[in-house]
Amino acid sequence: MSQSPSTSRAPARPVSDRAVSDRAVSDRIGIIGYGSSAYEKSPSRSEAGYMAEAARAALASAGLERSAVDGISVSSTTLPPDNAVTLAETFGLSVSWASIGNAGGAGAVVNVFDAVHAIEAGRASHVLCLAGAAQDGAFFRGRIGRFNGSIGDYLAPHGFGGMNGLFGIIQRKHMQTYGTKREQLGRIAVDQRANARRNEAALLRKEMTLEDYLTAPLIADPIRLFDCVMPCSGAEAILVGPLEEAPSGKAVAVRAAAERHNHPLGEVSPLRGGWEVFRDDLYETAGFGPGDLDFVQAYDDYPIMVAIQLEDLGFCAKGEIGPFLAERRMTFDGDLPLNTGGGQLSCGQTGGGGGMIGLTEAVRQLRGEGGARQVAGARRGLVSGYGMVAYGHGLSASAMILERAQ
Amino acid sequence: MTNEVSAAYPEARVTPDNAPMLKRWREAGELVLQHCEGCGKAVFYPRPVCPHCWSDRLVWRPASGKGTVVSFSVIHRGLPAPFDAEAPIGLAEIALEEGISMIARVLVADGEELESGAGVALVGKADAARFPLPTFRIAR
Ligand SMILES: [Zn+2]
Repeated sequence: MSQSPSTSRAPARPVSDRAVSDRAVSDRIGIIGYGSSAYEKSPSRSEAGYMAEAARAALASAGLERSAVDGISVSSTTLPPDNAVTLAETFGLSVSWASIGNAGGAGAVVNVFDAVHAIEAGRASHVLCLAGAAQDGAFFRGRIGRFNGSIGDYLAPHGFGGMNGLFGIIQRKHMQTYGTKREQLGRIAVDQRANARRNEAALLRKEMTLEDYLTAPLIADPIRLFDCVMPCSGAEAILVGPLEEAPSGKAVAVRAAAERHNHPLGEVSPLRGGWEVFRDDLYETAGFGPGDLDFVQAYDDYPIMVAIQLEDLGFCAKGEIGPFLAERRMTFDGDLPLNTGGGQLSCGQTGGGGGMIGLTEAVRQLRGEGGARQVAGARRGLVSGYGMVAYGHGLSASAMILERAQ
Repeated sequence: MTNEVSAAYPEARVTPDNAPMLKRWREAGELVLQHCEGCGKAVFYPRPVCPHCWSDRLVWRPASGKGTVVSFSVIHRGLPAPFDAEAPIGLAEIALEEGISMIARVLVADGEELESGAGVALVGKADAARFPLPTFRIAR
């Protein structure tokens, strides 16, 4: 890691271009536990019920009792009017730090980053980070038109088709601007499905060919069925605490992380997001770059957004994702392992849990617990988040670089 | 567009920020946009402060109601009532002549196809009252 030698009073770059990751990543505090609940197409219990299952697994993987937890954070779009504090009461936890995220699918990465900072600042010693939902497709469709104010007021009255219509506009723009083809984007969905076939927890495990992807039912042209996630129920959990407390060989260090909201300014259907702002700082802070990563867990609400994340995170130049995807294999044993558990596209989207499924899968891989989908020798990985879709696109972007701690 | 509207469309909440736009659309089938007297830029969606310069001196001015399709989606499935009965629904990013973009529904008549680069215009006063927000058709 390079230290900033600047002693001048003026920042080297405009403040607005500086990313959070410049400031602090801990060598002492990191991820010491993780857990996932079962996923279900229809809820058999409440949101907190799924979160409890994930939390129990996270504590067990850390070898800690629940009495160790004195901080809680939650990323959920369906929990309000409940929040992190009421969740602490449900779980019988007395905590010195509680936080609820507001960045949708980018929120879980932010919450874990915040938890590291909270512990570093002495606000807590062990923070339980939760994300998830109890929902099915009908529930999701019923509330999507009220996701936030600008959607409710300026998109829902048009019959905007949920997020599918908005990402149909973005995907078509990428295709017409850069020549990106569905055959190329389809590689993401197809290879992730191959990963999901080795993950018994994934809800969608039927074999998918590129032909299946290309000819799937039309939803919001050019978006077809296998471009879309299936809303479902479930939860994910991450336990943040002192790395030295993790079982031997199981600690995962946070090497860099960043968030960016509302970038770019003033575009309703942008082909880029906040990742491009903090990318260079992220890799500089981590001390290594995209070529040194063993896998990527990208936020996969749609393949087109995975493609845009890979561009913005520097895996290829803007607009060149099509040929890039055509030359790579994104399966767990490929040359760019991507969403190695199948991602949201094959596991299902558990609301805010969609922002944490990449984190838990990354920790699973770095601990060598990936089972039939283990990435050989996985040491370093990238997790990115995306969310809070509002007028035309997701406002929030986040990313975190994780490394197996020695 | 052959179906008469049965179930009601969802509507925008009427607020001090957007009331002039909603009223003008409903009563006259015209689009009015906020313009900032601080920096001169047009603003959509309506808001209480200019996002470019933070001025609160936002005034309403008539827009031409014409623009160009930048990109679009044609939505076939997953629509709530009453839109499901009207599928497919055209939804487009439209670059307005005033220099800003909005996302809006574009009505596509039989024999027409939505295309990027196509000119669009407001549906006109007779149809405006049927739709909660300024809605477009392909310009002829
Ligand atoms: Zn202004």
